[in-house]
Amino acid sequence: MRRNTILTAIALLLLIGFIAVADNFFDLYIVRILNLCAIYTILGLSMNLINGFTGLFSLGHAGFMAVGAYVTALLTIPPDVKKQIFYMTPIMSPLDVMNLPFPLALLGGGLLTAFVAYLIGAPALKLKGDYLAIATLGFGEIIRVIFTNTQSITNGALGLKGIPNTTNLWWSFGTALFTLVVIASLINSSYGRALMAIREDEVAAESMGIHLAKHKNLSFIIGAFFAGIGGGLLGNLLGTIDPKMFTFTLTFNILLIIVLGGMGSLSGSVISAFVVTIANEWLRFLDEQINLGFVVIQGKVGTRMVVFSVLLMVVVLFYRHGLMGNRELTWDSLLNSKIWRGISARWRKTAVAEGGEK
Amino acid sequence: MALLDMSQVSMRFGGLTAVKDFNLQLHPGEIVGLIGPNGAGKTTVFNMITGVYKPSAGTIRFNGNEIGGMRPDLITQQGIARTFQNIRLFKELTVLENVLIANHLHLASNFMEAILKLPRYRREEAAMREKSLKLLERLGLLEHQNDKASSLPYGLQRRLEIARALATEPKLLLLDEPAAGMNPKEAADLTVFIKEIRDEFDLTILLIEHHMDVVMTICDRIYVLVYGTMIASGEPAEIQSNQQVIEAYLGVDEDAENQ
Ligand SMILES: Nc1ncnc2c1ncn2[C@@H]1O[C@H](COP(=O)(O)OP(=O)(O)OP(=O)(O)O)[C@@H](O)[C@H]1O
Ligand SMILES: [Mg+2]
Repeated sequence: MRRNTILTAIALLLLIGFIAVADNFFDLYIVRILNLCAIYTILGLSMNLINGFTGLFSLGHAGFMAVGAYVTALLTIPPDVKKQIFYMTPIMSPLDVMNLPFPLALLGGGLLTAFVAYLIGAPALKLKGDYLAIATLGFGEIIRVIFTNTQSITNGALGLKGIPNTTNLWWSFGTALFTLVVIASLINSSYGRALMAIREDEVAAESMGIHLAKHKNLSFIIGAFFAGIGGGLLGNLLGTIDPKMFTFTLTFNILLIIVLGGMGSLSGSVISAFVVTIANEWLRFLDEQINLGFVVIQGKVGTRMVVFSVLLMVVVLFYRHGLMGNRELTWDSLLNSKIWRGISARWRKTAVAEGGEK
Repeated sequence: MALLDMSQVSMRFGGLTAVKDFNLQLHPGEIVGLIGPNGAGKTTVFNMITGVYKPSAGTIRFNGNEIGGMRPDLITQQGIARTFQNIRLFKELTVLENVLIANHLHLASNFMEAILKLPRYRREEAAMREKSLKLLERLGLLEHQNDKASSLPYGLQRRLEIARALATEPKLLLLDEPAAGMNPKEAADLTVFIKEIRDEFDLTILLIEHHMDVVMTICDRIYVLVYGTMIASGEPAEIQSNQQVIEAYLGVDEDAENQ
C-alpha cells in the first residue's frame, strides 16, 4: 500500500519533469503529437466508460467533441477576432462579446456537452445494441449539419479560425490525468459496479434493483462531459475547427483506441491512445509519396484509414480482448510481471558481480 | 393479509396465452412450490411478479401495493428478489462484486459522493463490504470471493445467485429451479439449505422445481400449472394424490427427468 503510494508519487514527479522538459526543449512537431496523445487519452477513457464499462454501443463521440470544441472556441476567441471571421453572417449576440478564461471555457464546453447528452440520452438509451449505435451515429451527423447551418453561431462551413492556442502539454496532460482519476474513481465505486453489472446482464442488473435508465444516463453524460472537454482542448490546440473535422472517422479512431486497448480497461485505453496517435503520425507517409529510390509510389490519401480499418478487423477477429482485456495495469501487476522480474534479476546479478570485483 | 396476492392474472404473447386467470396467495414465512410440465408458464409467473413482463390482465399485490407492470428495480426495492432458471450472474465480475452489486439499491450516496469518496460514501461502502463478506461466509463462498463468477462450478454458481438475491434484503424470494442439474444428494442438501435461509433471513419463498422429492419435502403448499392454467393447489399430500395432477404431470415425471 505504502509502496504503491510512493511509486505513484515518483511516477507523477517523472511525468511533471518530462512535461517541463518537453514543453521547453522538444520541437513543435513532437509537442503537438504529445498533445494529441493526451487528448486522445481523454477521448478514449470517456468512450471506454460508455462502451467498455457500461456496454452501451454508442458512436456519438465526434458529435460530443464538436459541441465541446465549438463552445470552448467561441468562449475563448477574442471579440475583435470574432468580428473578422464572421464576415459572411455576423455573430449573434451575446456570443460576440462573451469571453472567458480557458479553464472556464473548457468547463462550459464540457457541461453543455453533458447537457446535450442528457437530452439525447433520454430517448436514445431506451434503444438496445445496434439501434443505439445507429441513433448515436445519427446524432453525430445531425450535429454536423446543424453546425454547418447555424452561421450566426458557428460560422457555418467556414468554421472558426483564430482560436487561441492555449492548449499546451500542461493542459492536455493535466486534463488527461484528471479524467483518468475521476473515471477510475467512478469505476471503483458502487456506481461503477452497477455500470459493469448492466454491461454483463441488463435483466439481472435490473432485477438486482439497479435503475437501468438512470445509470445508463449517468455513464453517457459523464462520458460526454469528458468528450466535450477533449474536443475543447483539441480546438484550442489546432487553432481552427470546422464541421468537417467531426465526421465518423473521428469516432472510428477513438473506437479503434478502446478496442485495441481493451474494452473495460482504463490503462489499456491510455496505452493504446498513445500507440494509435503516434502510429497515425508515423503512417502518414502512406498518404504521401513513397520514394523507394528506383520507383516512386504515388500515395493515396486515405491509405492510413485502410490500414487502421484492417487493424481493427484483425483485433476484433483474432484478438478480441485487445491489449489489456478488462485487466488494469497496476503497480502490483507491473512488479509481478515476467518482464520486470527478468530485468530486476539481471540487475541484481550485475550488482552482485560488480560487488565481487571490488 | 397475504404477502403476495395474484388475482386473475393472465399473460398473452401475441396469440399464445402463457398464463391464464392465475390466482396465488403467499403468506409470510411460507415455502410454496410452483410445479408443472415444461412450457406450463411457471417462469412467466415469476417474470410477471418481478416486473420483467407486464401482465395482460389481473392484479398483483405485494404487501397490499399493486406491483403489476411496475419497473423491475422498484419491485426489487419493495422486497422481492429472484434467481434465474438459466443462471444470470455477472460473469466477468468476481463473486464478491456480484454480491456487492446487489447492495447498490440501498446506497444513499450519490455518484458525486462516490467519485469524491466522501465520508458518507466510505462508510456505506465499508458497511456493504462487511455485509457481503458475512453473507458469502454464511453461504460457504468466502474462499471464492475473488474468483470470477463464471469460473465457479455450476452448483456454486446457483448458490451465488441465491447469495446475490439475499443481498438485496428481500422479504419474498423467488427460486427458479434451484435444484436443476443436481444429483439427489445435492438436492437433499439444498432442501435443508432453503429451510435454513427461510428462517435466518425471515423469508417467504416461492419456488419452481422439477425435483419432486425437493418440492414434496419443503413446500407447505403447492400450485400446479399446466398449459398456463392452474389445475390444482394444496398441501403436498393432496397434490400427490390428485388424479388430475398425476395424469397431467406427475405421471410423466419420470420421462421428464430422464430428458
Ligand atoms: N417473451 C416471450 N415471448 C413469447 N412467448 C413466450 C415468452 N416467454 C415465454 N413464452 C412462452 O410461454 C410459455 C411458457 O413459458 P415459461 O418459460 O413460463 O414455461 P416454464 O413453465 O417456465 O417451462 P420450463 O419448465 O421449461 O422452464 C412457453 O410456451 C413459452 O414459449
Ligand atoms: Mg421455466
